[in-house]
Amino acid sequence: MILGDFGTSYCKFLNVAEDGSQPTILSTKELPGNLHVDLATGHNGRRFADRYVNELIALARGGESMIAEPEYVLLDCGSRDIKFVAYKDGKLKDMGWNTECGASMGFTIELLEKYYDLDYQKMGAPESTFSVTCGVLGMSHIFDAVISGMPVSEAVARLIKGIALNAYRFCGSPDRLYLSGGLCANPVFVGSLPCEVVPLGRYLLLKGLSRYAEFD
Amino acid sequence: MGDYDISRFTTVGIVGVPPLAVIRALNEAKVIIHDLDARLVTASIDGVSPLLPKVYCAILRTVVLNALHLKLDAIFIDVGPGKCDCALHVSTILKEILSIPVIRTRNVDVAGCGTPISKARQDLTEKLLAITEGVKYATVTPCQFKSCKPKAGFWGVPPRDFSLLEPFPVTTHIYGWTRCMENKTPADEVLEAYCNPKVPTVFFAQSFCAKTALAKFLADRHPQALYLDVDFTTSSSAKAKVQAFLELSGALS
Repeated sequence: MILGDFGTSYCKFLNVAEDGSQPTILSTKELPGNLHVDLATGHNGRRFADRYVNELIALARGGESMIAEPEYVLLDCGSRDIKFVAYKDGKLKDMGWNTECGASMGFTIELLEKYYDLDYQKMGAPESTFSVTCGVLGMSHIFDAVISGMPVSEAVARLIKGIALNAYRFCGSPDRLYLSGGLCANPVFVGSLPCEVVPLGRYLLLKGLSRYAEFD
Repeated sequence: MGDYDISRFTTVGIVGVPPLAVIRALNEAKVIIHDLDARLVTASIDGVSPLLPKVYCAILRTVVLNALHLKLDAIFIDVGPGKCDCALHVSTILKEILSIPVIRTRNVDVAGCGTPISKARQDLTEKLLAITEGVKYATVTPCQFKSCKPKAGFWGVPPRDFSLLEPFPVTTHIYGWTRCMENKTPADEVLEAYCNPKVPTVFFAQSFCAKTALAKFLADRHPQALYLDVDFTTSSSAKAKVQAFLELSGALS
C-alpha cells in the first residue's frame, strides 16, 4: 500500500507493504500526471488517490503516534499554510489551519534562499525581527532593508524570525512546541521560535496516514 | 403593524425573525412570505457592491440582493435585539432604494414554542432547513424527527452557505441563535448563550457579524470547541477544519 502526502512544493511517499521501507520525496513540479497512490493527504492529494484524509487529521494522527504525552502542541509549517493541533488531558483542545495569513510561508523562505544564494545551514537566528503579516507581504521589508545597506542574510533571517513568531503565536505560544514539516531542518526558523522546540521531521503526515493503513 | 394594510400584500419578504403577531397576520391574510436571509436568487452578489461594502455580513448582502431581484409588495425587517444593528442600517438603505414599504419590527417575544428540531436525530442541513422554513409560519407543526442524545453541537446562526453543515453527524444538536429561531424568541440572550460543555461544539458566526464576539467567547470557555467564522462561501479549509474537529473530538465515532 502506497501512501502519499501531496504538498505544494514537495510530495512524500511511503510504501507500507515493504518492511523497513523509508519515505521518499519528490518535487511537486516533477510529479507524473498519471501517478496513483492508495491513500493520500495534502491539499493536492485528492486527484492522485481513491481515498483521502484531510491534512489536519493526518497531522493529529501522526502526532498521536509520535508523542506520548497527554498535553502538547503540534505545529506543521508547510509551503503554503500552517496548521496545529493542541491536546490537553489526552483530548483535542484546540486546532487551527491558516491558509490566508500564513500564506506561502515555507515557499517564500525557500524562494529567498535560492534567489539570494544563501545557505540556511550556515546561518543562525537573528537578534531582531521584521514584523510581518505573511511570507508574501513580508518580502517588501527585505527589499527596503537591503536598499538601506543591511546584509541580505540578516534581512532574510529577520523575515524568517518574523514568520516564526507569527506561527508560534498562531498555535497559542506554548512552552514546548512539537514541529513538523520541512522547516524542521531550517536552523534559522527553529532557532527563532521562542520556546523549546522538538522537531519531528517532514514525514509526520505520512505517519498519520500509516495509522489508517493499519486498519486495512 | 403601522399604517400598512396587510390585506393589500400578496408577496412579502422578511429579514430575521419578525414578531409572531406579524407572521400570524401575514399567514391569516395568506400572504406569501420569502425569507430574504436565504439564498433565493442566482444573480451575482457583486450587484450589491454599490450599496454595501464588500466587507460586510454575507447574510445581509444576500438580503439586499434578494430585495433587488424579487417582486415583493413589502419587506418586514427585524431590527431589534433579536437581529442586529447591521440590519437596522440595511433597512435604511432598502427604504431609500426600493419603492415598496420597508417595515421595521422589533421582536421581543418571550413565549417559547419549543426546540424539538434542534435536539433531533436527523441530517443537520435538513434540521436547519426545517427551522428556517418555520420562521414563515406562526403555528408550529409537530416535529417529524426523533430526539437523540447529542454527540456534536452546532452553535450559531444558519450559515449563508449550508455546505458547512455537511460533515456533522445526525446526532448534532443545534444551539445559539438558530435554536432561538426555532423557539421563536430570537432576542432570548440566555437561550442563545446556552451550550452543552459535554458535547464537542463548533461555534460558528458569519464573518463581520457582531455574533463573532459571543461565538469566540463561548468557544474559549468550552472544553471541546472549535470557533469558526465564514464569509460568503465555505472554503475547503474551513470544511476540513470542521471535519477534523469532529473526527478528532470523537463526535463521529
